[in-house]
Amino acid sequence: MIGLLEVLEDFKGRVDVAKVADDLILELDDLLPAVDAAELLSYIKVDSGDLILTETGREFLSKGPKARKKLLNKNISNLESFKKIINFVRNQENCEVSKEELLDSLKGEVTDFDAESDFSWIIEWGRHSLLLKYDSDNDTIRA
Amino acid sequence: MASLVDMQNVSHAFGKLRSDLILDKINLSINEHEFVGVVGPSGCGKSTLLRIIIGLTKPTDGAVYYRGERVEDICKRMSMVFQTFALFPWLTIFENIELGLQGKPFSKSEKRGRVLKTIEFMGLNGFEEAYPRELARGMKQRVGLARGLIPDPELILMDEPFSSLDALTATHLREEVLDLWLDPSVAPEAVIMVTHNVEEAVYMADKIVIVTSKPGKIAKELEVTLPRPRDPRSNELYKIVDEITGLIA
Repeated sequence: MIGLLEVLEDFKGRVDVAKVADDLILELDDLLPAVDAAELLSYIKVDSGDLILTETGREFLSKGPKARKKLLNKNISNLESFKKIINFVRNQENCEVSKEELLDSLKGEVTDFDAESDFSWIIEWGRHSLLLKYDSDNDTIRA
Repeated sequence: MASLVDMQNVSHAFGKLRSDLILDKINLSINEHEFVGVVGPSGCGKSTLLRIIIGLTKPTDGAVYYRGERVEDICKRMSMVFQTFALFPWLTIFENIELGLQGKPFSKSEKRGRVLKTIEFMGLNGFEEAYPRELARGMKQRVGLARGLIPDPELILMDEPFSSLDALTATHLREEVLDLWLDPSVAPEAVIMVTHNVEEAVYMADKIVIVTSKPGKIAKELEVTLPRPRDPRSNELYKIVDEITGLIA
């Protein structure tokens, strides 16, 4: 996702998504997860096929790794989906759940639920934003 | 500019009778603060070149000097980063990075402190206890970089470091590597990078060494004097890319 923001900055903040795909020799499908992520975090806006870098996105890019972590922590913890997950884990004993318990709690909530891929997405974002810890040896997720 | 590495008449041949000549009389210097890109077709011996510089492979002829001293064993002032990351799958990210300090005279707690500092510095916090299989490729390479940087090498050698990554992740990591190299308070001081991506080489390097194959010889050395930060899509850059591709083809 950060690579996408940097490419956008190279294009002075606004570019047709097809041009990005073309320029990087990527299929549109390969680009979309980064686009979705950036949009979810309000780092970009999508308008008539154009990707536009927002002020939040520019601010994120201007920071070093430490400050970016802080921003990610703030932005991700404000997402509804993540708020639910964090609260669920924090309400458990020791603020700890197993992978199965977490997945069970999500089954009802999410349409098109794909356990493995959603789980890895959640853990990845959780780890990046320092909101979740996952110990795969002991199968525990902590918040 | 003082020279860090001097390769003098290095040749290398494989095979029982040393009949398969991979590199032929290579003379190459890497200077302080320099970013050297090595480009050439697949199989031209570029990876072998790096292994000889760091001391992993002893050349069948010629020698490598580091700050005037002959390289006989693995040079401790250098570090290597690999295309396929080379992380140990049974070790956590923390433990993989800690390996970079092997052989250093630090106490366990000192090592721990340095690893944590490097993890934070490389934006890997949150992933300390993760295993490589749980990481996206870009993150894995970031761990590879962290492990390479933690022993404070003067020279970092990179063998196709971005070619296993998707274009977006590669774009991002290239910037990180450039930032690290340009920061005088942080290792490394100099970089030598092997790549088959000519655009990437021209975007990043001060000097490009073009190697032709069978056997590998240096066809030409080109200085890239484009001012930094460079525009990866500028006409000037493409002109240089064209010139180099013409020499390789």
